[in-house]
Amino acid sequence: MIAEQIVNGVVLGSMYALVALGYTLVFGVLDKLNFALSELFMLGGFVVIASVGLGAPLWLAGVLVLLVCGSLGLVVEFVSFRKFTSPDAQVTAALSSLAVGLIMIDLVQKTWGGEPVSVPVPIEWRRANVAFFGMQIQVMKIVILVVTLALMAVLHWLITRTAMGRNIRAVAESPTFATLLGVDVKRVNQQTFFIASALAGAGGLMFSLRNGVASSDIGFTFGLKALAIMAIGGMGDLRGAVLSGVLVGVIESLAIQFGFGKLGEVIVWALMILVLLARPGGLFGGAHGTEQRA
Amino acid sequence: MSDPQLAVSDLHVAYGPIKALRGVSLHADAGETIAVLGANGSGKTTLLRAISNMLARQQGRVRVNGADTAGVPAHKLVRDGLLHVPEGRGTIGRLTVRENLRLAYDLRPTDQSFEAALERVFARFPRMGERISQCAGHLSGGEQQMLSLARAIVNRPRLLLVDEPSLGLSPAMVDEAFAVLREFQASGMTILIVEQNVRKTLRFANRAYILRQGLLVASGSGAHLLHDPGILSHYLGAS
Repeated sequence: MIAEQIVNGVVLGSMYALVALGYTLVFGVLDKLNFALSELFMLGGFVVIASVGLGAPLWLAGVLVLLVCGSLGLVVEFVSFRKFTSPDAQVTAALSSLAVGLIMIDLVQKTWGGEPVSVPVPIEWRRANVAFFGMQIQVMKIVILVVTLALMAVLHWLITRTAMGRNIRAVAESPTFATLLGVDVKRVNQQTFFIASALAGAGGLMFSLRNGVASSDIGFTFGLKALAIMAIGGMGDLRGAVLSGVLVGVIESLAIQFGFGKLGEVIVWALMILVLLARPGGLFGGAHGTEQRA
Repeated sequence: MSDPQLAVSDLHVAYGPIKALRGVSLHADAGETIAVLGANGSGKTTLLRAISNMLARQQGRVRVNGADTAGVPAHKLVRDGLLHVPEGRGTIGRLTVRENLRLAYDLRPTDQSFEAALERVFARFPRMGERISQCAGHLSGGEQQMLSLARAIVNRPRLLLVDEPSLGLSPAMVDEAFAVLREFQASGMTILIVEQNVRKTLRFANRAYILRQGLLVASGSGAHLLHDPGILSHYLGAS
């Protein structure tokens, strides 16, 4: 049924959006791409496996994903971005973060092997359905949507309502002017990396719960799609990342429904090329003005 | 009052091989207004950026209120009461007027509350009250200059560095900007102003220094320089 495929698409899109939010946050503040986010997404599932293996309940494992991935984001900031501050160091920083991501893959494969590892999911999340406007929706999907929406709401509150968010927005516009107003740019960069990495990790957590497995090789493709989604939504545009994440998720799900299969993924890349050609500032850049940019 | 509010001695700053400042020494006593004048490219903006530690210096010392600022991060200097209003005003366009003022308040909360600080801003600039929820980027040039000066009302710096406050403003707005600066002056704030508008600035400042290719070539009281046509035409091209 099409409505159910749309729900599936929104679920998938919300996971894309979490990683795209991470990319777009870092890009908005530093004008740099943090490729390690793709692998922090991958790592999210393995942090759940490790935490549950150590006896943590699933909710605590979820919190640990945020903390562990966020902290690893601080490491990435220190290793790959702190030294490369000049505008022409964009490529250097991006390559360095890519290398950090590849190291993460290797470490995961050394620990868990190259095959997918099963994630402990409560059986009723898979079995039970909830009736919703005539549809039967798996409890798992509801959990994913609720957690994702909650994380986005917290992010929105942090960025628009707190002193930290104000500082992040100030640095995103002008590190120089922000410094002259007493903002500690280094600290803002760290906060940005922590938040972005925690979001990517949360995306990976949701993805592994949905699939029932965590795989060490999913980061690259998923992360590239999140990058495309960031570009479609407008680089640095938070609301654009969410909207285009959902848009792409729904397009992919409907493509599967109508028998296009993997061609759905081609649609994402084609969409990105078209959007970049027609509206280099992103699909939503004009409509929302500039205040949504972090 | 043994230490001057600002004391710069033998300051050298270079951009790569290009020496922008070649041994600049100047001082401002507490409550004094000093001006640094010079043609484009003489090093005025570099001097301000070096004083607020936005630029590394090769050599020399800067003391603010008696304390050496070497190694102090720029954002901490602001908290100690040094406010640098840069060229281009330094307002954050995507933040609202309120958020811009809140930044200035948080870094140095001298009033009892942010609301009290806002009241003082509105008393001076009723316009800011009307614009309080708008993005700073949507303000007119004159309003943005008001906002940048309003930050000094909010956080009451001991030392204010102002870079070209009249740049891009209508004559009426230039008068308004100088009127506000005079009020700061009267309240005892120490001010270092860099300006192209030579005559207005000399009438405003207690003393002035003339900067040429990274060197101070003349100094004196504002009134003295104002009536020395030789210095003005020779170094500044003013007629």
